[in-house]
Amino acid sequence: MSGLFGTLSVALTGLSVSQQEMETTSNNVANANTPGYTREVPVVTAGDPVQIGAESVGTGVVLEKIESLRDPMLQIQINQSTQEGSSLNAALSQLQQIQTQFASSTSGIGADISNFFNSLQQLSPDPSNLTLRQGVLTAANTLAVDFNTTAENLQTQRGNIDQNVVQTVTEVNSLTSQIAGVDQQISNLESINPDPGALVDKRNNLIQQLSGLIDVQVIPTDQGITLATSNGTTLVSGAQSLALTTAAGSDGVQHILAGGTDITSALAGGSLAGLVQIRDQEIPDISASLDQLAAGLATNLNTANAQGFDLNGNAGGNIFVPPPANGAGAAATLSVGITNPSLIAASSDGSAGSNGNLTVLSAVATTPLAGGQTPIDTYSTLVGQIGTTTSNTSTDADSSALILQQLQDQNGSVSGVSLDEEAANLIQYQNTYQAAARVVSTVNLLLLDAVNLGMDSAEE
Amino acid sequence: MRVDPNPMPDLLAALNQTELEAQQAELQISTGRSVNVPSDNPTAAALLIQDNDQATFTTGVLSSISSVQGQLATASSTLGSFNTSLQQALALGIEAANGTVSPADQAAIVVQLQGIQSQLISLANTTYEGNYIFAGTKTNAAPFVADNSSPSGVDYVGNTGVNQVSIGSGYNLAVNLPGSQLFSSAGNDVFLAINNLIGAVQTNSGIETAVNAVNSASSYLSAQTVFYGNATDQTQSETTYLNAAKLQISQQQTTLGAADVVAAATNLSQAQTDSQAALEAIGKLSQDSLFTYLT
Repeated sequence: MSGLFGTLSVALTGLSVSQQEMETTSNNVANANTPGYTREVPVVTAGDPVQIGAESVGTGVVLEKIESLRDPMLQIQINQSTQEGSSLNAALSQLQQIQTQFASSTSGIGADISNFFNSLQQLSPDPSNLTLRQGVLTAANTLAVDFNTTAENLQTQRGNIDQNVVQTVTEVNSLTSQIAGVDQQISNLESINPDPGALVDKRNNLIQQLSGLIDVQVIPTDQGITLATSNGTTLVSGAQSLALTTAAGSDGVQHILAGGTDITSALAGGSLAGLVQIRDQEIPDISASLDQLAAGLATNLNTANAQGFDLNGNAGGNIFVPPPANGAGAAATLSVGITNPSLIAASSDGSAGSNGNLTVLSAVATTPLAGGQTPIDTYSTLVGQIGTTTSNTSTDADSSALILQQLQDQNGSVSGVSLDEEAANLIQYQNTYQAAARVVSTVNLLLLDAVNLGMDSAEE
Repeated sequence: MRVDPNPMPDLLAALNQTELEAQQAELQISTGRSVNVPSDNPTAAALLIQDNDQATFTTGVLSSISSVQGQLATASSTLGSFNTSLQQALALGIEAANGTVSPADQAAIVVQLQGIQSQLISLANTTYEGNYIFAGTKTNAAPFVADNSSPSGVDYVGNTGVNQVSIGSGYNLAVNLPGSQLFSSAGNDVFLAINNLIGAVQTNSGIETAVNAVNSASSYLSAQTVFYGNATDQTQSETTYLNAAKLQISQQQTTLGAADVVAAATNLSQAQTDSQAALEAIGKLSQDSLFTYLT
């Protein structure tokens, strides 16, 4: 194939490919602000040459494909970073809520403990004074109420997290079902077009959203993709999605089940992991510390009170309602068991003016509890631990956010639409189109010359 | 290398960060505290709780010391009055021992001595804030009750209990002496000495011996008074120490938890400048692209 018709045919490929290139540019420009859109570039190659005699003659240009520019490695890293960041942010938000209850050094449980022992000190010079004795009971009540409030707030927060877990599982199921649907569309298209760009973007977007909720790994297969959590639980396999379910466990919270297997403690990323960590580890740990403190204090003070005599000369009884034997729930249920201030056993010899047993009661302040620390040290250590956990989680969340931002910048540099670039391409494609059109026009003139051979072309 | 064509997410993240920093600085300035939640400085948050405990303890001890001092001062001044009365009794005894005193005067001296005896019983039953301070720990009833059948003319119905009050960490101070030890100690029984003196003057025999016994009981009592002086001294030196400790705790609380307002104000100003810069950068993001210039 050569000659003018050959030239015309070559020029037509130029026109056609330039049009498709401009179409690609137009699509890129239209989607410049579409979240998750991956820019597309036309991949063109020179047509296979034909051999005419000794000459090798070109056959124009061929549009091989329209390729979406994405870096699969970056996408994997972004998903991982999203999982890590979401887990940290979910945990951080809950920890910040927890720590507000332990924020003040001059109020709350710590100050209540100090104030209670101070009320005993005030009673010491005048042990039969009913006003001062009432002061001790009031301080004990305040301490008990603050223990109750703090423990109840923690349980309320735990309940809210539990509901949040159930909602998140519903979202996970919705996303996995959507991903399976898109995967099916992609599989159907892939037989026709190996790069179903927008659909892959859609799937990647959904996977990234899913990464915000749960840890997932993408495993490419012949039938599309398989999404599995890091512990191997399959969430999506090709066009099939496996719905997670929730069921109340014996510990009173909702467990996450995948086909009957409890995967709650195996979650490693996404907001679910962060929520579960706070619900199943942090809050129970803090509650247990509070229980230990409340039970230890109440038991030691009861024992100390029993060693003395009350204002009426009777042997001392309990100040606090005895806490449960193993301490579980002690903080939430701590209460003062007496309302009569004369029942405080300040006396060591049975006489009203003796303060001998106040020394025994006051010594509880410096007696180590089960954890080996005094009550106030136990509490301050707990507050320090909550602060450290929150602070570390915050630092980790910040670094994770920075990493994610950098990865997204990197991804943007590969896949983002640059309007300048598109404009430059447009100019180039326009010029190519115009040049090809000029060739067609020139061939047309030449063909006219050829057809009207011998006639004055000016007469036409 | 191709750059990310969309700088907006980075700028918004920077803006968010500067706003967070501004908020943090504003919170420090408005509360005056650098530790508003434990995560601001976990170590300081834990130490502040312990500092508050120490501050509460110190303030409480200072307050109970002040109550103890009131009690000690009352006891001390009562014993002073007691001794004055004893001196009067002694003077009367010496006067009675003088052979020139008429029977009428002796009778008058007996009446005066009996008056002093009642006064002494009343002094030994002194209360402070409703509590009998020489009753041992049986402070709710008068410890000395007049009893004519008793050789001393009184019965001690208090006990021998001694109360200790904490006036510092691990520092307990005995704050009372039982009346039995002060006034009715065997060999130095003040009431027995006075009662014997009254009897001696009435019978006009053995007055000198009785006077000597009163004198000896008075000396014993003066020696016992030292206890209250010592206790008061200890509370005073402990008050000085505790006030210094309180100041130190307060300084530590400031160091740990008070906001450095100058630094916070500088941070706020810096955050505002950064925020302004980020906003301007966003505002000045080129609205143009190459498309603008295509004709």
